[in-house]
Amino acid sequence: MPKVDIEKKILSENDLVAIENRRQFADAGLLVFNIISSPGSGKTTLLEATLDRLADKVKILVIEGDVSTERDMDRVRAHGADGIQINTGGGCHLSAKMIRDVLDGLGLDTADLVFIENVGNLICPSTYDLGEDIRMVLLSTAEGDDKPMKYPSIFHEAELAIITKIDLLPYLEFDVEKVGTEISVLNSECEVLKLSALKGEGMDAWIEWIMKRLEMKRAARPAAGE
Amino acid sequence: MHELSICQSMLGIVEKTMAEHPNATLRRIFLDIGKGSTVESTLLSEAFEVIVSGGQYEGVELVINDIPIAGRCRTCERDFTYEEFALGCPSCGSTDIEIHSGLELDIKHLEIDED
Repeated sequence: MPKVDIEKKILSENDLVAIENRRQFADAGLLVFNIISSPGSGKTTLLEATLDRLADKVKILVIEGDVSTERDMDRVRAHGADGIQINTGGGCHLSAKMIRDVLDGLGLDTADLVFIENVGNLICPSTYDLGEDIRMVLLSTAEGDDKPMKYPSIFHEAELAIITKIDLLPYLEFDVEKVGTEISVLNSECEVLKLSALKGEGMDAWIEWIMKRLEMKRAARPAAGE
Repeated sequence: MHELSICQSMLGIVEKTMAEHPNATLRRIFLDIGKGSTVESTLLSEAFEVIVSGGQYEGVELVINDIPIAGRCRTCERDFTYEEFALGCPSCGSTDIEIHSGLELDIKHLEIDED
């Protein structure tokens, strides 16, 4: 039977749009995060606490991904973010095209940081490049310390893992060291931070991490007109 | 459950390819799906059946080649394969390992009947 060779990544079209997005972000000198976690691990609370510490220093845009409602966008707006809510209407992840479709009118040129809060899901979002600089995963102590090996692909892909809700550690059986070891086996380059967005512990290190990466990104940006 | 959207992306590529062969009938689609790719072959096959049902590709066979997670231990320098992600080298237990394959999400080729 005649054979037609294709040899393509199934998501090659998404990847091409992600490349366009990445170029657009880079042209505007933006540092872009794609935040992935299961529902309820504290993505929006981390954004609120981050905005409280950074919104008077840098201009932050947030792109919120949820199946429905504007609730998360309302929450981050109340803490000084501009941005837009994407409702996927049942979809379990954001795609590069969904991001591209909201970029016009967001005011990228006036911003410094973009946080894309993906749909709460530890599996599907890890497959879709959105054009971000930093893919990061959150794991809350309440979810249990067995998650890296149960959901390995996101930990394999992430550049940064944040263990959230560490203020709950006295009440839980959560082995922080074990989680750190398992993440490093899956991905030896993945950095791990621990914090409580609600109580503030560990937030300074996270803010420093962001600012360091923002400086690196700015230093790499070609000067205007070049 | 993102197998439906993966399947739609895959069929988008198939449609573009088949447009270059307007007189041909599609018979089989061949995919490589890594065991560590986040896509579950059984769910993908089910999604495929649902999507193509009643359409031009009804009856087309989806052939999925599951690719195990394969890598090499930097400590004992042995090659290994996993059915799923595991902690370290199966031979010496070292955690200093590198993964070479098992993350694939590729469309390889089609089989067609030319009229």
